[in-house]
Order: sequence, then structure tokens, then C-alpha cells
Amino acid sequence: MSSVIKSELEKLNKKELFEIATLRKISIPNNWSKSLIVELLALNVSIDNIPKIKPVPLIHRIKTDSAPIIVIKDLAKKFEDITAIENLNLEIIEGELFSLLGPNGAGKTTTINILNGIMKPTKGTISIAGFDVTKNLDAIKKIIGLCPQEAAVFKFLNARENIELFGKLHSVSKEELEERTDNLLELLGLTEASKRKAGGYSGGMLRKLNLIIGLISDPKIVFLDEPTVGMDARARRKTWEFIGSLKEKKKTIILTTHYIEEAEALSDRVGIIDYGKLIELGTPKELMKRHATKNLEEVFLKITGRRIMEEI
Amino acid sequence: MKYQVLVALVKMELKKFIRQPANLFLNLLFPAVLTIVFLFAFSDPEMGMDINSVVPGLIVYAVIFLIMTIAQSFSSERQEGLLKRLNTTPMTSAEFMGSQIITHMMISIVQVIVVLMLAYFLGFRPQSGIEGILLSLPVVAIFALSSVGLGLITATISKTPEAATGISFIFILPMMFFGTFIPITSTTQQIASFIPSYYLVDALKLIFEGDWMNTNILLDLAVISIFSILVVLFGIILFKKYGSR
Ligand SMILES: Nc1ncnc2c1ncn2[C@@H]1O[C@H](COP(=O)(O)OP(=O)(O)O)[C@@H](O)[C@H]1O
Ligand SMILES: [Mg+2]
Repeated sequence: MSSVIKSELEKLNKKELFEIATLRKISIPNNWSKSLIVELLALNVSIDNIPKIKPVPLIHRIKTDSAPIIVIKDLAKKFEDITAIENLNLEIIEGELFSLLGPNGAGKTTTINILNGIMKPTKGTISIAGFDVTKNLDAIKKIIGLCPQEAAVFKFLNARENIELFGKLHSVSKEELEERTDNLLELLGLTEASKRKAGGYSGGMLRKLNLIIGLISDPKIVFLDEPTVGMDARARRKTWEFIGSLKEKKKTIILTTHYIEEAEALSDRVGIIDYGKLIELGTPKELMKRHATKNLEEVFLKITGRRIMEEI
Repeated sequence: MKYQVLVALVKMELKKFIRQPANLFLNLLFPAVLTIVFLFAFSDPEMGMDINSVVPGLIVYAVIFLIMTIAQSFSSERQEGLLKRLNTTPMTSAEFMGSQIITHMMISIVQVIVVLMLAYFLGFRPQSGIEGILLSLPVVAIFALSSVGLGLITATISKTPEAATGISFIFILPMMFFGTFIPITSTTQQIASFIPSYYLVDALKLIFEGDWMNTNILLDLAVISIFSILVVLFGIILFKKYGSR
């Protein structure tokens, strides 16, 4: 471990090394050479305390015993004149709940869509469970589930029919499908409306169905793009509770949201993204500590001088 | 291709057809009403329209309007993000396109049956008897491939479902005027020979007349099959490359 820390530390400049030292309450004489400081810090510093500079070091992990299930390297996405994602390096650990936070237009959905194979990256590589997204998408499709930002359901089918269709596309057996459908409908409070056509659903009900469809294959990796947007406060609370329960099923969850409070409470780690760049990464606690704030919203405010929420 | 996946998709497509009043109206009710109107009011030899040449035209009319329904469906599902979502599942594009083809072949057969039943009540008695009717079904079903293909091409060109409605007429109108129940004169004959639906009308006429040894039938069937298969392949490739996002 310490050699990894060392190589990461070597990438930093002297000023940044002094910052870490200050953070660790280690005083270092001004005239020390860089390599000497690295040596000292490598002995004393936990990897989590390396402050995030751009680009974020790859090795930032919460659980050192579990391997990354998603590895994103040098990812970039351009739409004609817009750079939606710039040089993103990120590893998602198996079984963690990772939240991408950021204002509208930051590049969250674009990131999720590239991970799902819906969009092609302009640059960079992504591997999911060892498979390359651009080359082995078929293998990846079998283990992922998506809850897209815009509710995408068949309006002329009722909830059960929608769920059944997507279950069958994932080759879920009949018995499994029935059991899971009943279960998910009940958990999200959609049982009563489940035989009505989705065309007549309220925004919140559509969002719930959207989420259930994404989970019907019992996927190993779940992408939730703003899963609670458009729900009333009660439904939102219920849904967050439900997402929390997914964590216990050892799923890897990547979610994006504007609801920072909930993300703060549930996430193992969060990445803050702004103008297509990952500008912070760590556990909620770490970030709050690093920026001496009481919540994540303030962390964002402190880094950018803006609020995440004000733009919706 | 997984049988279970194919069945699930066809079931969904059939529900889409049955549960959306606009589809039922355009693809079943409208041809039915036209059949009644044409056979009841206009099938008078003095008007140059005898019943035996009108019925094949009415069948073709029904099938070419599938282009519009198919184009609208693809472009609205693209707009709603449904195509993207389907694409994130293990479903293959062969399964997806296969289900489109199977569904619309089935619908075209239902259209033929509806038109023929109404025509029967109104006095249509094909010389070929039941064999001719049975033979007409697969022939029309093969032609329905071209409707799927042209629907895909329309959806690729159009950005919205509304645009798809308009653009589908590029394909529907010529087939309507030069290859349905509108009488072909010597001047329109030449144009008609470039319109694929003309060959279907011709084939159906010969089939219903029981004139199966006529070499023209083979020629018609060859044109219909080659055209339909090429168009559906072209449509699938075009849509996959440029239309599905
Ligand atoms: N298909 C697209 N074509 C052009 N620009 C796009 C497209 N999708 C997203 N963008 C742009 O990329 C940026 C990031 O968008 P997005 O990923 O949707 O942000 P977020 O999900 O964080 O709100 C925005 O500026 C958006 O306008
Ligand atoms: Mg978004």
C-alpha cells in the first residue's frame, strides 16, 4: 500500500505536499526536498487524505480489500462545440453506492449514458466487470440495470406489462418475474395502480415504474439517473429508503441526483462534477472534513462559489 | 434469436396496435369503410371500376398505410427514450427487427381478411375460390416487409413523429395513385410500372381470377419479393446507423 501512496504523492507538487502535511498536522521545514517530504508523508499519511486536485488520482478507494468493478480512464465526451465530460478518471468499487453530484448540465447523464453504452465516448476507455464498454457491450448488458433520467415506459401497457416485457428481454424466468414484480410494486407503493395503463400515470408514478423496470433483472450494477426527480416528498422518502435497501443486497449503485442531503446520508462515496470535470471525490465525511463544512451542499459552494440546487 | 424474447416483443407490438385508437382507425377501420363505400356506391361497370379490380386495390391501400403507423411508432419511441432503453437490455437487434416484421405481417393478414370479408358481403366472389384467398395472404405479408422498410426509412429521415406523418406520404402517395384501386390509363401505365404496389395489385387480380398459370404472376411475385426484401434490409441498416439515436 505505501508504495502506491508514494507514487501518488510523487505526482503532486511541493505546495500540495505541504498542504497534506498541514492537514495531517505534521510540520515540515521549508528547505526539505520534495522526495524527502514524499518519504515522510508516505509513512504517515492515509491515502484518503491526499487532497483532490485535477485530475483526481485514480487510486482513491474506500475499501482496499474490494476490487473496482468499473474503471473509467481518461474519459472525454464532446458534442460539437460542447465538452460534456473532460478527462474523467474514476473507479467504482464493487458493492458501493456512488453518487455523482452536480448542477444541471454538469455531465452526469452523459457519464451514465456512456457507461451504459447508449453513447460512445469521444476519448478514453471504460471497463465494467472486466469488459470493455465499446467492445463487449453484450456481456455488460446482462449485468446492468438502468433507470434513465426521463421516464421511458410504454404508455399503452400497464405497469405489470411494462415490467414483464423488460423482464422477458432479460430472460428472467416466469416465477422469478412474478415474485419480483409483486415485490417491487409493493415496495414502491405502485401495486394498486399496476393494472392501469401507464399513459394515465402521474409523474411520480411514472418515475416509480421507471425505477422498477431498471431493477427487474436483479442487476449486479445499477445506474439510477435522478431516480427521485418529479416525486412528491413522501414518495421521494420511500424511494430513498428503497435505494438504501438495495445497498444491503450488495449491489453496486451509481446514482446521480440533485438531492444532496439524501445522497450525503446514503452514499459510500460521492463525486462532485461541474462543467464536465470531477472536482471532488471521497466519502461524504471526508469531503466535509476536508472543506470544514457541515454538509455537502456547502462543499460545492465552497469549491465553486455556487449552489448545486439553485439551477434546477 | 430467443423465442421468449421474440414472443414478448410481438405481444407488446400487437398491444400497441390494438390499444391505440389512431392505429386501429387508420389501418383497419379506414380500409373497411373504404371497402364499403367503393363496393356499395361505386362498383358500377359504367364507372370503369369493376369489383374484381377494386378489391386488390383496397387491400394494397390498407397495407401501404402501415408505413405511416410504423414510422410514427419508431420516431415517438426514439423521442421518448424507449429505443435507447431497449438497447441497454440483452435484446438483440435481430430480435427487435424480427418482432417488427412478424407483427406487421400478422397485421397485414388481418387487413386482407377484413377487406375480403366485407367485400364478400357486398358481392365479391373471386373465381379462384378459397384457394386464391389463402394464396393472397402470404403474398400480401411479403409486401408488408416493404412497409416496415419504408416506415424505418421515414423514421430515420424525420426528427419527430409529426414529421414522420408528413414524410411518410412521400412513399404512400405515389403508391396510392399509381398502384391501388385508381384505374390505370395508358399514360399512367408507364409510371405505374415503377411503383411496387402496382405489381401487388396485378398479382392479386390474377390470383383472385384463378389465373395461376399466367407467367405474369411469377413476374409480379418476383418484383414484390425482391423489392420488399431489399427495402426492409435497407431500412434496417439505415435506421440502425442513423435513426436509432
Ligand atoms: N445529445 C446531446 N447533444 C448535444 N449536447 C448534449 C447532448 N447531451 C448532453 N449535451 C450537453 O452536455 C452537457 C452535459 O449534459 P448532461 O450530461 O445531460 O448533464 P446533467 O445530467 O449533469 O444535467 C450539457 O451542456 C448538455 O447540454
Ligand atoms: Mg442529467
